[in-house]
Amino acid sequence: MELNTASAVVSFAKKLEEDSAKFYEDLSRRYAKDKDVLLSFAKENVKNIVQVERAYYGVITDAIEGCFAFKINPDEYTFKTELAKGASYSDALAKAVEMEEKIIKFYSDAAEQSKSLMADVPRAFVIIAKKRDNRRSMLKSLLGKGA
Amino acid sequence: MAILEEPIKEVSLIKNYINGEWVESKGEIKDVVNPATGKVIARVPISTNDEIEAAVEAAKTAFPDWRRTTPLARSRCLFRLKELLEENFEEVSRIQTQEHGKTIDESRGETRRGIENVEVACGIATLMQGYFSEDIASGIDEYLIPTPLGVFGIIGPFNFPFMIPLWSAPYAVATGNCVIIKPSSEDPLSQRRLAELVDEAGFPPGVWNVVNGGRTVVSGMLEHPGIVGITFVGSTPTAKYIYKMCGETGKRVIAQCGAKNFMLIMPDCNVAGTIPALMTSFFGNTGQRCLSGAVLVIVGEDDGFYNSFMDAVVDTTSKIIIGNGLDESVQMGPLRDKGKKERVLGYIESGIQQGAKLRLDGRGEVKIVGDYPQTCFIGPTIFENVTPDMKIGRDEIFGPVMSVMRAKNLDEAIDMAHSSPFANGHAIFTSSGKTAREFQYRIVSGNVGINVGIVAPMAFFPFSGMRDSFFGVLHTQGREAVRFFTESKVVIQRWL
Repeated sequence: MELNTASAVVSFAKKLEEDSAKFYEDLSRRYAKDKDVLLSFAKENVKNIVQVERAYYGVITDAIEGCFAFKINPDEYTFKTELAKGASYSDALAKAVEMEEKIIKFYSDAAEQSKSLMADVPRAFVIIAKKRDNRRSMLKSLLGKGA
Repeated sequence: MAILEEPIKEVSLIKNYINGEWVESKGEIKDVVNPATGKVIARVPISTNDEIEAAVEAAKTAFPDWRRTTPLARSRCLFRLKELLEENFEEVSRIQTQEHGKTIDESRGETRRGIENVEVACGIATLMQGYFSEDIASGIDEYLIPTPLGVFGIIGPFNFPFMIPLWSAPYAVATGNCVIIKPSSEDPLSQRRLAELVDEAGFPPGVWNVVNGGRTVVSGMLEHPGIVGITFVGSTPTAKYIYKMCGETGKRVIAQCGAKNFMLIMPDCNVAGTIPALMTSFFGNTGQRCLSGAVLVIVGEDDGFYNSFMDAVVDTTSKIIIGNGLDESVQMGPLRDKGKKERVLGYIESGIQQGAKLRLDGRGEVKIVGDYPQTCFIGPTIFENVTPDMKIGRDEIFGPVMSVMRAKNLDEAIDMAHSSPFANGHAIFTSSGKTAREFQYRIVSGNVGINVGIVAPMAFFPFSGMRDSFFGVLHTQGREAVRFFTESKVVIQRWL
């Protein structure tokens, strides 16, 4: 079902952050080598949730198009976090990159569509998209190091 | 999509909050019904004259000490209230959805605007400063002291049960007055929660009182010599009555009321940005607000533009998701009650009978997300070929009905808007600054929108209104509210 309302999109963002945090926490347990980096991603996700909710709850007004701003198809951004049995660390990182790309696209699309809302909401989405883009680069570099 | 959890789980009897205590009323009891589910969620008393008397007495007794409390100490109470409102933001919002039916986004917007008024009133130490002139004559100084007046009555409407009393109450108490709030008996639960938080914030007993009820409470407030002023938001006939009564009893008054807002669409508007704004304007809060769009005026004689614009409006409107506002996918909730739905249906019938073209019909079985009774739900409705003399072109419908008119040019469109006795929140959609300025300059409207469909002023601006949309001089919110709740005492001083 398409997400039309600001409330639904914020809840969906929270779910993406929670699911991806859980994925990184699982990875940190399985691959001790980069444990700190992976856990830092999970921690950053919690901050992202705070940032999105703070922006939304801080400026939500019934006068702006809160119920009519979005046309987000959640199927385009959902990802699977289960790793195949015997998957290597490289496989896991490749999955993480793929996941980050979907999340970046979500935040970028949400930012574009929420331009009619108060500036704080699209700005929060843009900032998180940038942070996740940096994370994607880090993951690629870990992958390049022959993880 | 998941339904958010309901905060009100048990049916309780609402009490009045008088002198810092929760007091059971001796009045008749009425059910409070969630319009989406049809379930009774509370029972509210229709309080008696004795109860309004007790509240006035408590407020009058509290006033001298509260007035002497320093502005900073009063603002600290408001700061604590603000913090408590933030902590309970989601609960307060969900209560509004349960009691009123609006969507959760709309309720959170209402909560936020309510809190913003508390935040603005927190600055009372500077907001209510007077002014001073030295040596207006030899050795004589003159200065103005804004002083509080006493006890104010605040009469809230059903459509914004939480926010609207907060357009007044924070400023009234910040300036040193005491208040008695009468929430709408249709949806009094968020005001009860607010009073609980007021209590927790540590306001002294009697400063903030809530008396539930109906006409008896309103009449009691209007007639009581111990009440110095009234703020009211509601229908125009009631506002006129309140204005008249306050004149007769020597009370100051802010009476904000009905509307018929015209949304002018210029052919050069940004269509993609305009359509969502129109959805919010006409169908947000299920059309139950005094800033809702009521008449859509397409300006110009270009049939191609008219047809393509209307096709887009109808297409988008027909896809609005209707249901319980606690479902995050829902874009429009029910009307507040069955009577209001029947009233709106009556207007739709009149539109058909008077020859308007029914382009989108909201009658009949409404497609609702989830399993809920149809009782209060109605679909969005669009009429074309509406003229200003039709009932649907003239009256405030207070429901999700868009009446579309055409005007040859801006002059004619402005004349159409001016043919309505209301002047609350007209708006224009255009990409021409020149046209926008022309509209802003000429339109008679308390609040004016330029590419904004709901012209709701921020808490630090007055909520204006003109002609039959407002009776009074000063408005609620911001500096005008501070002015309303204070009297100017001018001192001319010489030491001999």
